[in-house]
Amino acid sequence: MSEQIEMLSDAVERLFGDADGSAARAEQEGWQGALWEQLEDLGIPLVLVTESADGVGGDWDDAYAVLHAAGRHAIPLPVGEAMLAARMAERAGLPLPGGSASIATDCAGTLAIDEGGARFGGTLRRVPWGRDVTTVTAVLEVDGTHHVIRLRTDAAESTAHAANLAGEPRDTLVFRDARVETATCSAPEAAMLADIASLLRTAQAVGAMEASLHRTIAYATERKQFGRPIGKFQAVQQQLALFGSETAAAACAARTACHALGTIGTDAAFAICSAKLRANRAIGVATGAAHQVHAAIGFTHEYPLRHHTQRLWSWRSEHGNDQVWSERLGAMVAERGAEHFWSDLTARDDRAGAPQ
Amino acid sequence: MQTFHFDPVALPAGIPEFRAEVRRFLAAELEGVPASRRINSWATYDAAFSRRLAERGWVGMVWPAAYGGHERSNIERYVLLEELLAAGAPVGAHWITDRQSGPALLKYGSEAQRRKYLPGMARGETYCCIGMSEPNAGSDLASVRTRAERLDDGRWKINGQKIWTTHAHKCHLIIALVRTSPPDENRRQAGLSQFLIELDTPGVTVRPIVDLVGDTHFNEVYFEDAVVDADCLLGTEGEGWKQATAELSLERSGPERYMSSLALYFELLRVIGPEPPQAIRQIVGRIASEIWTLRQMSLSVAGQIAEGKDPAIEAAIVKDLGNGFEQALPALLQSIGETGMSLENDTEFARTLGLLLQTAPSFSLRGGTREILRGIVARGLGLR
Repeated sequence: MSEQIEMLSDAVERLFGDADGSAARAEQEGWQGALWEQLEDLGIPLVLVTESADGVGGDWDDAYAVLHAAGRHAIPLPVGEAMLAARMAERAGLPLPGGSASIATDCAGTLAIDEGGARFGGTLRRVPWGRDVTTVTAVLEVDGTHHVIRLRTDAAESTAHAANLAGEPRDTLVFRDARVETATCSAPEAAMLADIASLLRTAQAVGAMEASLHRTIAYATERKQFGRPIGKFQAVQQQLALFGSETAAAACAARTACHALGTIGTDAAFAICSAKLRANRAIGVATGAAHQVHAAIGFTHEYPLRHHTQRLWSWRSEHGNDQVWSERLGAMVAERGAEHFWSDLTARDDRAGAPQ
Repeated sequence: MQTFHFDPVALPAGIPEFRAEVRRFLAAELEGVPASRRINSWATYDAAFSRRLAERGWVGMVWPAAYGGHERSNIERYVLLEELLAAGAPVGAHWITDRQSGPALLKYGSEAQRRKYLPGMARGETYCCIGMSEPNAGSDLASVRTRAERLDDGRWKINGQKIWTTHAHKCHLIIALVRTSPPDENRRQAGLSQFLIELDTPGVTVRPIVDLVGDTHFNEVYFEDAVVDADCLLGTEGEGWKQATAELSLERSGPERYMSSLALYFELLRVIGPEPPQAIRQIVGRIASEIWTLRQMSLSVAGQIAEGKDPAIEAAIVKDLGNGFEQALPALLQSIGETGMSLENDTEFARTLGLLLQTAPSFSLRGGTREILRGIVARGLGLR
């Protein structure tokens, strides 16, 4: 981790730490513009952009640290989406996005290219903060060529509001003959968008699980029943131990997948699918134990536990649920067969760890 | 509250070449061995295999050359172990010796003990079991009652009984945890010492216990006025508890804690072929995700140990989650598939599944029960 990244990491922690409560405010007020500006001032959307393109020059390990912090503090903004949109722009040779940015993994439509530039007609579904951001970046295949496309949301013909369980906007934007910035990209790169988008959620989910774990342990240490803190009862301890272990498994999986993405690129798909599935399993245990130990108080609108658990329940199936990821991973494994399973598994890590 | 550390490990250069060398050896050694003989293979005793492995320098491979070791790195040893287990090699004869007894001698043994026993261990010829449990001391290890009394001539007389001692009937040595001072209710772990005892010592009797599938691998070990020399004491008198529990990270985070059932998964992949139905693909994918994650966790702890850290809680987590996985796998695979995969059939899949269903309950018992491990994790979370 470079000195610059380390400073950024500390600054992120301070900013997000001060922003605790922003999840509740966003439910009332919507877009947290002031927080977004602070986040931009720190350069967070540019973490994955190289220094030569005026970015921070961070890698996916650094991105993990930022996403983890965003999840831990339930930051109600498209932190990862903006980072990814900027990275896609740089790699495709587009100018960096101006203003706030999100991405769409579900994009259907057509491109018309003439002297005046490109125009897009089609639909972007479930766009995080689609109603609030300035631009949305997506990938689109036209006649076998893959394009990175970037649309201004104010060019949308209509925006249908929708939200996940935590109230985070997931909007559907319809465009007709709208001006669009485009650049071509490779097929594997285009195919990675959904994987990377899901990895953003996996990393955030680890942060949210850790925050829930800390909150639950603090509660179990304070709350007394039968004359002693409930955390002193073995039955409660064993539940929390499993909660902690599952969270650790998800953290290891997410961190390793981020690291793999940074070192072996498109070959990280196996790691990303695996991490997503493993984290999803942990989410079931974590949210179950958090609410069980908190009992009724955790079930109230006022108590802050829900800001994490509602996000975890939502994130579990954003950009594809377990069926999608397990089928994809299972198909990869079955196709390679028994003879290659173990050698493939080890080869990826042997390569990821090799000196660059 | 602490956060648990499972940082990714960067494997050093040279690992792919070493891995390939181990695979070539194993491919030749294990050709034609069916899946049912590749499961839980660190419990499978095969002295001839252990000797051939040692000839390659792969037993005691991290020990000093002065004692017959090969001074390789801990990460190389980890790679060797996971390759042995992935292939299902019969490594049970020397496994405990290589993992625990040898390292205990290196750390606590006298120069005479090391010179006498370590070279034979590194040749894959001398096997040493671990005598901890007793009829009334299982998870509550501090309640061991086997006692050693010092005789006037400085020798020790040992009386008592150990139980569930793996491979004692085929080992040459035992490291036994025994009481050398009377129990003190306020300091229950005090007054215990470790002894390194040759199993053919008069007064020592080993009786195999038949397990539920009819195999014998664990034993009762009786000490009846067994007199041993003064230099059979291992390490410091009264420090037995500390010595016996000091390096549990090594024991608990190894690849053997999640790989015991893998041969059944590989057999499943063989049976279903490259394009299985949707429901099977999903299960195959879920299992792959578990294996990948557990390997990363186990590898991460190995990396931390190689750096000289003692990640005891992370090790307990690896064992608990790893055992949970290897234990759940047989039942999960019993629940899927065509009737051709059912237990009654005379297929390798059915045989492997049947054996594993009956062996799997032991996975979360050996080396620290699930309840004990979760107690350790709860302590790490600041709850105890």
